[in-house]
Amino acid sequence: MAESERGSFVRALLSDRRRVAISIGAVLAFAAVPFVTERWLAQVFFRVLIFVILGVSWDLIGGYAGQISLGHAAFFGFGAYVSAWLTTPTRAGFSESVQSPVIVALIGGALAAGLLALAIGPAIFRLTGHYFAIGTLALAAIIERVLSNERGISGGSSGYFVNSSYDHELLFLLTLAITVATVLVSYYVVTSSWGLAMRAIHDDEAAASSLGINPLKYKLIAFGISSAMAGMAGGLYAQYTLYLNPADVLGIEWMVEALVVVVLGGMGTVTGPVLGAGLFVGLDQLLSEVASGYSTAIEGLLIILFMIYMPKGLYGVISDRVGEPSGGDPPSGSVPTPDETASD
Amino acid sequence: MVSPELAFESLLNGLLIGGIYAVAALGLSLVFGIMDVVNLAHGHMLMAGAYVGILLFAATGITPLVGMLLAAGVLFAFGVFLQRVLLERVVDEGIEQPIIVLFGLALVLQSVARIVLGSEPQRASIGIPGSSIPVGPAVLSFSRVVTFGVSVTLIVGVWAFLRYTTTGLAIRATAQNTDAAQYMGIDTGRIYIITLGLGTALAGAAGALLSILFPFTPYAGWSYLLKAFAVVVLGGVGSVIGTLVGGLVLGVSENVGVLFVGGGYRDLISFSIFLAVLLVRPQGLFGTSGGEE
Repeated sequence: MAESERGSFVRALLSDRRRVAISIGAVLAFAAVPFVTERWLAQVFFRVLIFVILGVSWDLIGGYAGQISLGHAAFFGFGAYVSAWLTTPTRAGFSESVQSPVIVALIGGALAAGLLALAIGPAIFRLTGHYFAIGTLALAAIIERVLSNERGISGGSSGYFVNSSYDHELLFLLTLAITVATVLVSYYVVTSSWGLAMRAIHDDEAAASSLGINPLKYKLIAFGISSAMAGMAGGLYAQYTLYLNPADVLGIEWMVEALVVVVLGGMGTVTGPVLGAGLFVGLDQLLSEVASGYSTAIEGLLIILFMIYMPKGLYGVISDRVGEPSGGDPPSGSVPTPDETASD
Repeated sequence: MVSPELAFESLLNGLLIGGIYAVAALGLSLVFGIMDVVNLAHGHMLMAGAYVGILLFAATGITPLVGMLLAAGVLFAFGVFLQRVLLERVVDEGIEQPIIVLFGLALVLQSVARIVLGSEPQRASIGIPGSSIPVGPAVLSFSRVVTFGVSVTLIVGVWAFLRYTTTGLAIRATAQNTDAAQYMGIDTGRIYIITLGLGTALAGAAGALLSILFPFTPYAGWSYLLKAFAVVVLGGVGSVIGTLVGGLVLGVSENVGVLFVGGGYRDLISFSIFLAVLLVRPQGLFGTSGGEE
């Protein structure tokens, strides 16, 4: 079972050579960025990578499993703080003995966010549809208030300065590697039987349940992986910017931006958020030049317009235009019949 | 140790503020119960209503209670516009599209408010100096008593509208069964427009009332959305009387709870109550699911 799954994953991955070639080219180009550009430009590309991770992560739970989470910012912020505490423990009053290398701190942040999701998952998944969306919003607000109020561990409004032993070039390359890994993991998950189950739950939870799929199990898998990825993104952000502020990393802005990335690119596809992240950061950069201050308003407007006129996002438009063959992105719409999944 | 006098005063103040929470939640509850749409921009519409009241007061000195009527009117028009231009197109497409569209709308409202009005907290003052009402050992502010009275009047008004008018009957029929209502000749498209208009008008009214008591910033929207939703789950979706009870319960829990955990955690109390109730009893403490009182 696991073997054939992996086989189909590799086959699906390699089925479109043009896509693989473009991806490798893009990764190599990104790898050169911190060495050939100025610091501020590298920072722009760093944001693209963070948004790819966040977008792909949100899409797993929102686009594939169909659970509209509005609490994603909390996992990003939690991961950011845990990684900050691990590299810089004394500032939050923790013992110096927990001080860890950057890589350990990043994994710690991701694990903490993933475990938090798994711990609250069984409760929060008692909620469906609208209630889930609003419940996750409340959850994020609670985490934000607690961390903002506990100034001792969050630095309060004056913020938290992070010591990192990596220079920004190294961290950029690490971020790139993690971004690629995130996309691959996500691709693996959605092409596996897990992904099929998630899409079945998305389309019709009751029907999926009657086919013997345990909705809670697959929602938890999606939520756990998704939140760990968001936590990892938060950790990378903390180590790269070296400064955290509750209002910044726990605020709803990260949630907004993750959603913009996914909606622009196309929900329920892996490539969509990657395209969306590039488009979004480009747009954001342009907007801050010509219409600074209005960028959030324009982002909100884009969400509305895309949802109404182009709900499949950029990826949907491109694949309609090019007539993408079936070997491309795993579709989010149609769910194969159980026979098809069994024979794979 | 909290003195009994202080606890008593907090209890009464909680009841008074709870009346406004109920108005804020009623609009959300009606739209949810009748249209099956969670208006994620409800808190931001409340914030918009607050600013209408504040600006009107600042510009003309007109009492915020009259400003409230204007805020309700402006927000009613906005709700009608919203339903006709945006929501009508996505409301039948499952829950993802409407919820994300309304999320986008909330962002637009928040950032427009920030651009136009700045981030500094602002409030309207009802401007009756030194007027307070002693109730036993407690002293209540006159403006809180007035806003509570207005809130309860609004809620009774909406209840009577749904109960005794033909349009109210059509709204209740649509809430119970949209298809059946259509077969009976009810123009449900029009009912949706009226419902969203009414829902956002109530948000506007609640915002204007709150702006008398508390300062507002453009970022207040999310917090009030969650509070309103907390009241909805306490009271049961679509229940007018339940909403009033839910509002009072939330107001009291917040105001008394703050005595024990400190002011920084005020919002946290309502958010936690909200999550707890939602998880234990999704249909609400007092609610049956759907339907009107």
